[in-house]
Amino acid sequence: MNQMSWPPQVPPPPPSPVPPPMPVAFSGGRGEFFDLVKRGAGLEFVTLGFYRFWLLTDIRRHLWANTLVGGDAAEYTGRGKELLIGFLVALAILMPVYVGYFLIGLEAEHIQAFASIPLIAFFYVFGQFAIYRARRYRLTRTVWRGVRFWMTGSGWIYALQASLWGLLMILTLGLVLPWRNAALERYKLRHSHYGDLQGSFEGRGWEFFKRGWWLWLLTPIALYVIPIAPFIYGAYKAIEWRWWLSGIRFGGVRVESKLRKSELIGLYWKVIGWIVVLALVFSAYLGLAAVLVGSMTDSSFTEFFKSQEFMKSIPLLVLAGVGYLVFALAMNVVIRVYLLRDLWVRVLGSVNVSGLEAAANVAARGELANALGEGFADGLDVGGF
Amino acid sequence: MDNDAPEISTSQRSGSAIYFDGVSSRRRTVAVRLSDRLEIEEDGQAPAAWAYSDIRRVDGPTGMLRVSCLTAPALARLEVRDTTLAAELISRCARIDDNATGRRGVAAIVGWSLAAAISIVAVVLFGLPLIADRLTPLVPEAFERRLGDVADSQIKTMFDAKVCDNAAGQKAFVKLVTAIREAAGLDTSVQSGVLSSSLPNAFALPGGRVYLFNGLLAKAENPDEIAGVLAHELGHLKHRDSMRGLIRDGSTSFLIGLLFGDITGSSALIFGSRTLVTSSHSREAETNADSFAIDVMHRLGRPAKPTGELLLRVTGKEGKGLSIISTHPLSEDRLARMSRQDQPASGPPLLSAGEWRSLKAICDGNPDAIKL
Repeated sequence: MNQMSWPPQVPPPPPSPVPPPMPVAFSGGRGEFFDLVKRGAGLEFVTLGFYRFWLLTDIRRHLWANTLVGGDAAEYTGRGKELLIGFLVALAILMPVYVGYFLIGLEAEHIQAFASIPLIAFFYVFGQFAIYRARRYRLTRTVWRGVRFWMTGSGWIYALQASLWGLLMILTLGLVLPWRNAALERYKLRHSHYGDLQGSFEGRGWEFFKRGWWLWLLTPIALYVIPIAPFIYGAYKAIEWRWWLSGIRFGGVRVESKLRKSELIGLYWKVIGWIVVLALVFSAYLGLAAVLVGSMTDSSFTEFFKSQEFMKSIPLLVLAGVGYLVFALAMNVVIRVYLLRDLWVRVLGSVNVSGLEAAANVAARGELANALGEGFADGLDVGGF
Repeated sequence: MDNDAPEISTSQRSGSAIYFDGVSSRRRTVAVRLSDRLEIEEDGQAPAAWAYSDIRRVDGPTGMLRVSCLTAPALARLEVRDTTLAAELISRCARIDDNATGRRGVAAIVGWSLAAAISIVAVVLFGLPLIADRLTPLVPEAFERRLGDVADSQIKTMFDAKVCDNAAGQKAFVKLVTAIREAAGLDTSVQSGVLSSSLPNAFALPGGRVYLFNGLLAKAENPDEIAGVLAHELGHLKHRDSMRGLIRDGSTSFLIGLLFGDITGSSALIFGSRTLVTSSHSREAETNADSFAIDVMHRLGRPAKPTGELLLRVTGKEGKGLSIISTHPLSEDRLARMSRQDQPASGPPLLSAGEWRSLKAICDGNPDAIKL
């Protein structure tokens, strides 16, 4: 009302200086995250894997809460219990599906040996549904400035689109990947909202292809020359992240990323280095265990190893089993520190957000979604962002 | 320490904070005052006042206290960066960490996970064999035969094996199988054949199918050796071991897979523990089939010991190593058992010398046969 009473001689408001794009900050300590995943790996071991729901939740809570956009930190409000329930519901649905799959497969095999293999395609469709619904769960648990993100749209329509694109992918040997990703992201982001701001995706398949066309040429070579594979994969992920982030819009809010390829390639090499080190330690441990067990048997040392007897020795099998578990857990810690936390920090460090003033007064809207999609994704072993 | 200075206590009792009302994303810089409740003031107005017992801590970035209130909109947030004010606020909210998963929460997760693991293991070890035993007789024969057909075409594709059927050999084989089948008390629905593969093996498929690989024939020295093997496989058919195994192993893999979830590389663990469990059941089934074979051979008036000798010839000495991961009992033990319970031959030979020669040559003249 006040503006209405200003004298009219004031010219139309001068073009307000556009606020500079804001970088996104991350405030979490690396040691803190390391402690989190270390403790989580231990608990996962003790609970035979059941702790994964709570560990995943803790990891997300840490990453979200320390991500500051425009000076305000995000928050993840999902809980481990929700993931457990989602997993149980998915299990209840997947079990009869598996039985049905088995029976149909039986009929198909009756007509032609190995005819049931194409039925796996059905699980691909299911997996795509899971990816959509899992994104929806994560998005509705994301809160910023006291307002949550939310998502509409249909998981099945998305799964149908993704499957048709999947067919095209097979026919074109993966060449349509950029256009597939663009189309699927358009669907996902068109149905995403922050309060009453609607999302959209402006990335074009052609831009992705222009930046990464040489990857398609190099991929067949990487299948033979394994050492260049991490370079190619790292470059691919960097291009994909940069393209994806730069296409995200929420109303007038625009995201821009300048992620360099070298940043991700370095990460992948660090992980490979750690895995080699861990594998060396593991084999040294195996050798030590074998020598120890061998020196305790009554048969002579060389005889013990020449006969295949040592393959059946129980103490050795137990030692190897425990060692393997520790090895697998250590690898999990390495992967989570580098490929979750460090990747997150580097990707965030490349991001600038402009037009944040459009999100300065957004009305809260939208409902929470359930964790069924996460459950399916866990049961079917599919991942997606 | 100016304990009595009122300014100190007021500076601890009030300060500025950031407030989001959970209805819009507007960022408000507010003054907070810690009186009998937490009072939030903005430009002289008081948009909210929170009771201390309703205040809960929520996740915030390092170095910032962020709280919500049970009676306010679910996403209303107050962010305090001033550490003394934050400490003062925390000290007043007795139930601020009620929502956090504390030590007791983690202990509950660990405890119930272990309980779930123990009950799954107990079901795998004791429940499933029982269920498989009770369920197997209820499975219709027609369904079992259908399963057998599927396995049949897959095995033939996998080994690229053809059925050997030159006339003289087939005649001898049918004679041998018929004699054993009648002694075993099985009807004519049993199908059998010799497959042209160099593997020294024989197996029974669900739905009444028995196959002998040519490789085993090549290693055999007399009809009794082969007869015992066929009687053993017919024993599996009679006990419907493959159906029982399918029900038991299928559900075992499923339950163990459920248990381990997705620790990276858990498939190796799943495979390992499943091998341990299923092979112990399988050894039991093999021992029963051996008893059945010994019984049938005695009914035919033929010795069982030659079969044991054939097995040992095929596998070689298996040594003294612990055998909890092998699916069959050790060949030495099987031979010892067959010799112990052996009787001298009292009936006529099952095949004449000529018929035995034809049987051994059953795959000759077959283009795919492998000469040994």
